[in-house]
Amino acid sequence: MGIRMKTRIKEFRAKYNLTQEKLAEMVQVRRETIIFLEQGKYNPSLKLAHNVAKALRTTVDEIFVFDE
Amino acid sequence: MKTKRLLLAVAITALVVAVILISLEAYYVAIALVAGTLIIGHRELWSLIRTRKMPPIDERVRENTSKSVRNGFIFFAIATAFLMLPFSVRLIETPDTVHVLGGLFLSGGAVYLLSYLFYDRIEPGLGEKGLKMLKIFLLVAGISFGTFIISVFLHNAIYGLFIVWFGEDFWDRIGVGDEPVFFFISLLAIVALAVGIIGSLVIFIKGLFSKSL
Repeated sequence: MGIRMKTRIKEFRAKYNLTQEKLAEMVQVRRETIIFLEQGKYNPSLKLAHNVAKALRTTVDEIFVFDE
Repeated sequence: MKTKRLLLAVAITALVVAVILISLEAYYVAIALVAGTLIIGHRELWSLIRTRKMPPIDERVRENTSKSVRNGFIFFAIATAFLMLPFSVRLIETPDTVHVLGGLFLSGGAVYLLSYLFYDRIEPGLGEKGLKMLKIFLLVAGISFGTFIISVFLHNAIYGLFIVWFGEDFWDRIGVGDEPVFFFISLLAIVALAVGIIGSLVIFIKGLFSKSL
C-alpha cells in the first residue's frame, strides 16, 4: 500500500475566509487544481506546496498530512 | 497574458491547418481538428467569455499536456510504423496520401484528446475503485483485440495448410466445412472486445461527469 496524502487546505481556507477561487488566484493556479489538492487527488510540486502553505500563512507539513 | 497568447497561437494554427486541409479536400479531418481544438480549449474560452480572464497554465495543466502529447506521439509513431509494413499498405483500398495522413493525424489527435480528458478529469474523478475497473475493461479490450487478430490469422493459416497437406476436400470430408476452433475463438474475442469497449466507455463517461469538480 502506498502513502496516502490528506490536506488541511479546506480547514485553513475557512480560517482565513478564502474561497477556492481566491486561493487559486493567490497561488497562480486553476481552481480545479485547488479542488484536487483539497481532495488529496493531486500530488503538488514542492514549489506549489510551499506557495499554498505561504498563502495560508502556515507551513507545508501543517497543510499536507501523510498517512503511512 | 501568457495563456491568452498561447490560446491565440493554437487558434491561428488550427485555423491555418483547417484551411490547408479543406483545400486538400480532407473535410472530415478539418472538422475534427476544429472540434478537437474547441474541446481542448473550452475551459479557456468559457472563462474568457464569462470573466474576460484566462485561467493560468499551472503545473497540473503542463503535466497533463506533456503526458497527453507523449501518448499521442507514441500512438502516431506506432500507427505510422504499422502502415509502413508492406502487408498493411495493401490493406488500404485507396492509397490516397492525404487521407492516410489525415487519418493518422486525426487518430493521433483523438488519442491526445482522450489522454488529456483522462488526466485532467477522469483520473482524479474516478477514485481507486473506478480506475481499477477501467484498467480491467481496457485490458479485456486490448487482449481480445490481439486474440481476434491472432485467431483470424491462425484460422486462415490452418484452413489453408490442412488443404495443402490433406487435400482440397479435407474440411468437407470431416464434416465441418471450415476450420472451427479459431473461428469460434475469434467470435468470442469480438464479444469480449465489445464488452471491453462498452465497459471502458461507460466508466470513462462516468468519470467525465463525476461530481469532484
